[in-house]
Amino acid sequence: MSNYSKFLGAAALTLLSTMAAAEYPEREVSGVIQWGAGGATDVAVRGMVSYAEEALGKKIVLQNKPGGVGVIGANFVQQQASDGYTFLAGAENPALYKVMSLADFDYKAFYPINVISRANVLVVANKDKPWTNFKELLADVQAHPGAVKMYTAGTGSVPFTTSAMITSLTKFPVTPVPFDGDGPGITAMLGGHVDFGFIAAGAVQEHIKAGRLKVLGVLDAKPYNGAPPMTEALPGLEKYVPWGSFFGIFVKNDVPDDAKMKLAAAFKKAVDNPTYKEMMEGRGNVMLNLSGDEARKFIDRWQSVTAWVYQDAGVAKVSPAELGIPKP
Amino acid sequence: MTEALGYFLSSWIDPGLIGLVAAGTLAGIYVGAIPGLSVTMAVSILISFTFKWDVHQALALMCGIYLGGVYGGSRTAILLNIPGAPSAIATAFDGYPMAKRGEAGAAIGLTTVVSVIGGFVGIGALALAAPMMSDFALKFDSRDYLLLAIWGILLVGSLSGESLAKGIFAGALGVTIGTVGLDPLTAEPRLTFGSMQLTAGISYVAAMIGFFGVAEVLAQVHDIKLKAVRQDVSKIVPSWAMVKKYLPLSLRTSTIGVIVGALPGAGGDIAALLAYDHAKRSTKNPSRPFGEGAYEGLVAPESANNAAVGGAHVPMLTLGIPGDAVTAVIIGALYIHGLNPGPMLMIQTPDLFWFLVGALCLANIFLLIFGLTGIRIFCKIMEIPKPILLPMILVLSAVGAYAINNNPVDVYWMLGFGVFGYFMKMYGFQVAPIILGIILGPLMDRSYRQAMLSEQGDLMNYFIGFFTSPITATIVVAMALTVLSQTPWWQNWRKRAST
Repeated sequence: MSNYSKFLGAAALTLLSTMAAAEYPEREVSGVIQWGAGGATDVAVRGMVSYAEEALGKKIVLQNKPGGVGVIGANFVQQQASDGYTFLAGAENPALYKVMSLADFDYKAFYPINVISRANVLVVANKDKPWTNFKELLADVQAHPGAVKMYTAGTGSVPFTTSAMITSLTKFPVTPVPFDGDGPGITAMLGGHVDFGFIAAGAVQEHIKAGRLKVLGVLDAKPYNGAPPMTEALPGLEKYVPWGSFFGIFVKNDVPDDAKMKLAAAFKKAVDNPTYKEMMEGRGNVMLNLSGDEARKFIDRWQSVTAWVYQDAGVAKVSPAELGIPKP
Repeated sequence: MTEALGYFLSSWIDPGLIGLVAAGTLAGIYVGAIPGLSVTMAVSILISFTFKWDVHQALALMCGIYLGGVYGGSRTAILLNIPGAPSAIATAFDGYPMAKRGEAGAAIGLTTVVSVIGGFVGIGALALAAPMMSDFALKFDSRDYLLLAIWGILLVGSLSGESLAKGIFAGALGVTIGTVGLDPLTAEPRLTFGSMQLTAGISYVAAMIGFFGVAEVLAQVHDIKLKAVRQDVSKIVPSWAMVKKYLPLSLRTSTIGVIVGALPGAGGDIAALLAYDHAKRSTKNPSRPFGEGAYEGLVAPESANNAAVGGAHVPMLTLGIPGDAVTAVIIGALYIHGLNPGPMLMIQTPDLFWFLVGALCLANIFLLIFGLTGIRIFCKIMEIPKPILLPMILVLSAVGAYAINNNPVDVYWMLGFGVFGYFMKMYGFQVAPIILGIILGPLMDRSYRQAMLSEQGDLMNYFIGFFTSPITATIVVAMALTVLSQTPWWQNWRKRAST
């Protein structure tokens, strides 16, 4: 045996032994946030990641890869190696990518490390409007078709989905005025340019406290912080609730189990941190802290409810039945 | 009142906080100067670091970076014709011609002084009139945003160079580029041709780096043997007489900056463009023709974009609504620090408001110091032989384009637009109207549709709003006067009236 091949053999052996000995995580882990800096997903992840670093024992480097309802970031993670060193910090949007034909994958292509929280959706109105609850608003809208202006955003957004749920049950003849996100929508509502809107609690609660906006109801079967449940006015909504946007940490399905377990344990601990929980609950979120099968069950139900509402509203690009998404 | 003063001064007496503001301002100037590295990005990375610090320390650092960064964008705009940030686009129009004349030092000096003036106007407005201004900003309807965008797009006329038709073509191309991607209102894909990458749209910063930076590099290859212009660095700090001469223009454009900055739907980039337009239309005898190194063309956008910083803080601190992308990230930081940005913030934590005003003032003072030192070294960049300088700019452009969203596709766009922009230049098209179209196109698209939808498509009701809303009426009258004052009839009438 020549010296050269001896060397090769030794090198291969060393490599093998280090591979066997190396334990996940042996280097820093990178996280891809599918929404921009300063957004709700960004805050939810950055507020917790240093606790996850402590639990994981390695640094976590976050980067924002926004664009196309998060398609760019999610697709990037799909294209990385399945070694557990890249995770996706995402919101609810990927669950509908296939239904809306935005991408050829959805959350089924990801393993849920942690579903962090779910937002409460409120119906809020400018303080000068006459309504005190959702029932009065609904009656007024139906009595004066087109007279009431509603804030909405693009297909897939919270206001869009919530109004689709209502129109699947009853007539809801509002004048929808679209804005590119909650921020501009709230601004328009404060300025009186639109009359009401469906918005996640976190974005509006400070305006409610200050008395600039008033809350008319919550998209749930039980009251939230004094807001009456919308099911009181529209019992049909019961089959959809509770519903709201969510945040989570995901890796590719074929990441080794060892890495999945370690990440899940680290994020479970991080999400459980009292300071973080207080911050998130203060922003109107319901903490979930689900991983594995429980998380999968939550996402599947969310996907089934939302996809079929879209199908009924006629905005689904691909029928959920065709994609094997069961009816709720 | 004494309490407010105490909070205001808290960053001035703590050496640690002074150091953080200074470090932030210095870092901001460099972050801002490198195209693609944005203040938004720097601040969001900082959140992960500063998250366990005291909130005051974190804010001190962020304030410095914000103010320094907005100013820093002018450096590369003047020296290399690559705006370091979108808010410095208008600075390149006259700043770069000045550098080509060997006056880069004087250009940077003047920029620094008017930036600081603008900064103080913005901070002053924030300190004295924040609640009033935010109520005013809320009254802006989509109809008013549409008019502002149209006002801005009129600038195409000034930026067209030799041929108005070519300018309009370039502007329309920019508007088209701006519509690519998911419709911001309905999330329907537009001009994406089924491509997943195109659903994210075309980054306008990538387009900016391509059209300004790469196209300029390619154009300069033509005279690569030409010896670099020697830069006169004997007079950097502008004379008192000069500052006095441009002070009225600086104050006027600072006011534009504060108001546009305070609008939640428009930021420093649009403020700077509107200010440039104002300077061009209101200056009868510019020091030199605009576009060839007019001092006025430098004073206006640089006053406005730094004034917009104070303006952008107004909706952020009074309502918890971001005035621009950076304040959006700062709002996120406040949440993570356990605060609740919103209308209650000023009531529950008045100390925070006055602390921020104080820290911004301090950062503005540091800006003056750091801005006026080290200019000589910066000017040397212009004297680097082109065979060395041009490749360096290309590398910098590629890094900057990648850094926008960590997406290699932006680099391809940047290169593509660079080559395309080069040919446009060769055939007498100006690239500035393209950028104008990319920035203002989406604002027009969005606000026109919102305005029409809220009137249920009734054009009649839409126009009635021109008379019933005081803000709309004011903008319409101001626009009409601006346009009218350029017509020969008006000028004849003025001549007759004065004789």
